Amino acid sequence: MSEKDRIKRLLKEADIYRTQGLLSESRAKYLEILSLIGKNPSFSQNQKLLDGVKSKIRAVDKSLRELSDRPDKPELTQDMQKLIKKLFTFSQTKEAAAIEGAVALAKFGQYDHALNEFHSLLEQGILPVVTAKNIVRCYLALRKPEAAGQQYANWLSRDLFSFDELKQLRAFILGALKKEGIEIQLPEVTARPRKGTRVRKVEETFLEISAVSIHLQGGPFQNQTFDFEVQFQSANTVTVHLPSSRKEVAEFLAPGTRLDDIQCYSPITVFRSSGTVGGTATIKHGPKQGDYTLDITIDAD
Amino acid sequence: MTGLARRTSLRIMAIFNAKDRIIECKLVYYGPGRGGKTTNLEYIFKAFNKNASAEMVSINTMGDRTLFFDFLPIGLGRIRGCEVKIQLYTVPGQARYRSTRKMVLKGVDGVVFVADSLEVRRKANMLSLKDLAENLKDEGKSVFQIPLVLQYNKRDLAEQGIPLLPAELMNQDLNSKLKVPYFEASAIKGAGVGTTLKQALLLTLRQLQKELQWTK
Repeated sequence: MSEKDRIKRLLKEADIYRTQGLLSESRAKYLEILSLIGKNPSFSQNQKLLDGVKSKIRAVDKSLRELSDRPDKPELTQDMQKLIKKLFTFSQTKEAAAIEGAVALAKFGQYDHALNEFHSLLEQGILPVVTAKNIVRCYLALRKPEAAGQQYANWLSRDLFSFDELKQLRAFILGALKKEGIEIQLPEVTARPRKGTRVRKVEETFLEISAVSIHLQGGPFQNQTFDFEVQFQSANTVTVHLPSSRKEVAEFLAPGTRLDDIQCYSPITVFRSSGTVGGTATIKHGPKQGDYTLDITIDAD
Repeated sequence: MTGLARRTSLRIMAIFNAKDRIIECKLVYYGPGRGGKTTNLEYIFKAFNKNASAEMVSINTMGDRTLFFDFLPIGLGRIRGCEVKIQLYTVPGQARYRSTRKMVLKGVDGVVFVADSLEVRRKANMLSLKDLAENLKDEGKSVFQIPLVLQYNKRDLAEQGIPLLPAELMNQDLNSKLKVPYFEASAIKGAGVGTTLKQALLLTLRQLQKELQWTK
């Protein structure tokens, strides 16, 4: 192949990559062409050819700049936001679905709208601690850490959270800000709850868990992971099912066994925790006779 | 199983309405940026318009890059006594949109991995497949267990003398361990798009049949 044909071929390749939107690849090819031209005296004097290739490189550079300058997640229309909430809500309970919809908006970068939703859910008393944490996350995503601090101060003066929940939220905000390298002072939660402060049990704030993955670190099943679907949940205790063929596992997971590595799957999020086996029972009747049920109490953080 | 049930197991998220005999499942088109995921859906929408239960939704930006996702619901009609509805999604392929890809993968029942046959995109294909495996793992799923089909797209560019990866090499890079069905395609011309989708649906519905036993 002659040098001229080679340059023509490379130009065609570069142009096609550009039309494909493969801008970096296109630029690399144009630079390869410039290098070839530079090495060949019969081409390096061809100013028209040189100018043509340089002009293409400038155009690609402009496109690359425009791409990097555009916002990562522009605001979407209300219809799009409704669609996102509809498509990315999997929970069957109304409360969890409401939170999930708002979380979906946040995950698609619609932080302002997500904040509106979370604030509304908080006023309705829906999973308040989960909602409050998501409000904080939104402020941090919007790079407004001071707003997170102000929000916390606002919560302190209101009757939305119990004493323990406020302490939990304070620790969460401080931890989240520390991860961002930000240190702020947050007022301490007073030793006695304010008058009228709701005392809410832990179970009202515990997430709906649909499945758990237990990674065993010792004993005969060392480094094995077992996946279970949650059959039933009460507060932070989940009941899972083991088939009768897993008798050795059921025997190993005796009541009192500590489980240090549990991955919990909820419609809203996936989180790591630990827990304790509460009880094991053999199913005595019905189609699953002979199988086992296992109660696991997940540690409430 | 009676009534409406969503199996939120680690493996499947399809909706099975046993009372009305309707099954809905989710198929995601994954792959490196600019590989042809959206083009696949656009072709499917045009070709199977009468089956589309709604318009195709694309959230993209200048230069027609997918920024969030594309969405296309289609109805397949009755299969073994069940009304089957499919939701097709694409993900944004650029590396920086990983969190969006994770969101779109939630509840996925089957995947079409659209690989770019251009030689210059060899590494991008492998990184994208690795990204898929990691995101599936975070969802408690495995790339080795989920219904998966590979599509080697842009085969038409060979006619223009553009260097392409041979299918054997793409198989070596992407499919040596997975050993899943693969199809050569040109999404812009529609070649291989229907075949890829059909195989992906077959694998997904077979898996769902096994899990939900909806044909019994």
